[in-house]
Amino acid sequence: MSRPSERKLSELSAIVLALAFFSAAVGFAGESSSDSSGQLPAGAMQEKAAEACSTCHEARIIVQQRLSKAAWTKEVDKMMKWGAEVDPKDRDALIDYFSANFGPEQPAYVAPRSASESTSQSKTKK
Amino acid sequence: MTSRRDFLKTASAAALAAGAAHPLLSWASGNSSAADAAYEHAAIAIPGKDRMIVRSARFLDLETPVEFMTDWITPVNHFFVRNHMFEPARVEAKTWQLSIAGEVEKALTFTLADLEKLPLHSVVNTMECAGNGRSLQNPKVPGIQWGKGAVGNARFSGPSLKTLLEKAGVKDTAKHVQFRGLDLVPGKVPPFIRSIPIDKAMDADTLVATQMNGAPLTAHHGFPARTITPGWAGAASCKWLTEITVLDKPAEGNFMNPGYRLPNTPVKPGDAVKPEDTHSLTALSVKSLITSPSDGGKLKPGAHAIQGVAWAGEADITKVEISTDAGATWTEAQLGKDQAKYAWRLWSYNWKPAKSGDYTILSRATDSQGRVQPEAPVWNPSGYLYNAYDQVKVNLNV
Repeated sequence: MSRPSERKLSELSAIVLALAFFSAAVGFAGESSSDSSGQLPAGAMQEKAAEACSTCHEARIIVQQRLSKAAWTKEVDKMMKWGAEVDPKDRDALIDYFSANFGPEQPAYVAPRSASESTSQSKTKK
Repeated sequence: MTSRRDFLKTASAAALAAGAAHPLLSWASGNSSAADAAYEHAAIAIPGKDRMIVRSARFLDLETPVEFMTDWITPVNHFFVRNHMFEPARVEAKTWQLSIAGEVEKALTFTLADLEKLPLHSVVNTMECAGNGRSLQNPKVPGIQWGKGAVGNARFSGPSLKTLLEKAGVKDTAKHVQFRGLDLVPGKVPPFIRSIPIDKAMDADTLVATQMNGAPLTAHHGFPARTITPGWAGAASCKWLTEITVLDKPAEGNFMNPGYRLPNTPVKPGDAVKPEDTHSLTALSVKSLITSPSDGGKLKPGAHAIQGVAWAGEADITKVEISTDAGATWTEAQLGKDQAKYAWRLWSYNWKPAKSGDYTILSRATDSQGRVQPEAPVWNPSGYLYNAYDQVKVNLNV
């Protein structure tokens, strides 16, 4: 039985295809207000944050957090350890960007709802 | 190792091939405002799921709105989804295999057809994500910001894990049983590998489930087979199961430590906890939720049914109490007739408010181990097992 790390390469094409189909099915919005857009806000680090994080997960996972700077520091360092490609020169600015936009004092993120099941089926039928 | 940039390049090419270039390229470039505008009013479509709260679409984390929790058995299209990684693109029932190795007399491999020949055992299990209610913690902690609905109750069926382990012959050295699924791990993220103690693994109610609510498991819920560790936090039940390893000690790795651990003694909200002062999270706490009326709802004069669900992991719910005066007085709700060892109870209370105004309705459950839902949440650094009184506020019009 192969180890997970070895499986990664052999199954990369499967991941990529899954992503492609899933993105097609999901689209990239579905939100009617900016409160639930799930997108990273404007800022000097917007593009770099999107690049570093979106290999593994969508921005919505970031924008729903409400964390102190100390907690953001731990998260950024953990994610860099887990493969997020961040230029060490950008680390502090990235932490500042997340802390400024997703700190404890920000109003709660409002998550969107998925489509009704009948809509989901018609949209994904080939 | 493939670099992120190569990954994106390949991903974009695949997207073009799949005719899905626009959204994926916009994601890859990090500038998706144009794509957003184009998709402004499109709902997020998740096959097999219906009007769920989208905590994350990639990877997939879906929460059940509490108003859907009206039935004892949660339908699959309303059952919450918690994925740590990417779902396997496609698992073929014909080629899928499950291996058992480690501290056993004889390593074995099972096909789906092999599993189907074994005695089928069913367990109605209330499954709750350890992080359910995390968004209600204060101070906030990192993780999926679940509201109240990362919980559901379903009938899972398949052979007992014990049956498979006994065929392989568990050695005396066996202490833990580790599960690995086929989910796809990106980057250098540690794989989602966890283990459960041998006693729980050898309990006849711990399953290698192939069915959920009488139908084959769907992809989001672990097709073709998953473990069900009943009464325990969802993380103890591994989806897309492919490898069982019997160990002479608990599994190691991120999702055993520091993941899924609780402080040994209560800590002040916001305090750091040393790793050596923690233990692995196992069974669920005692908890109730109010599913009707809705929080912030406006009610007409007259009687109203206050309804909800209550569960207690490996224990039984013994009572649910309701307060409609913000906790000054409490009255017992009536428990629903449907019950099973690891399953939640529906409950209902017929409320006849005497006058109009604003009301705070609270619920608290008690279980057969004497545990009572606490008034204040028990804070911990990962926001696990939130189980403070549930609360909804309503306005009763004249």
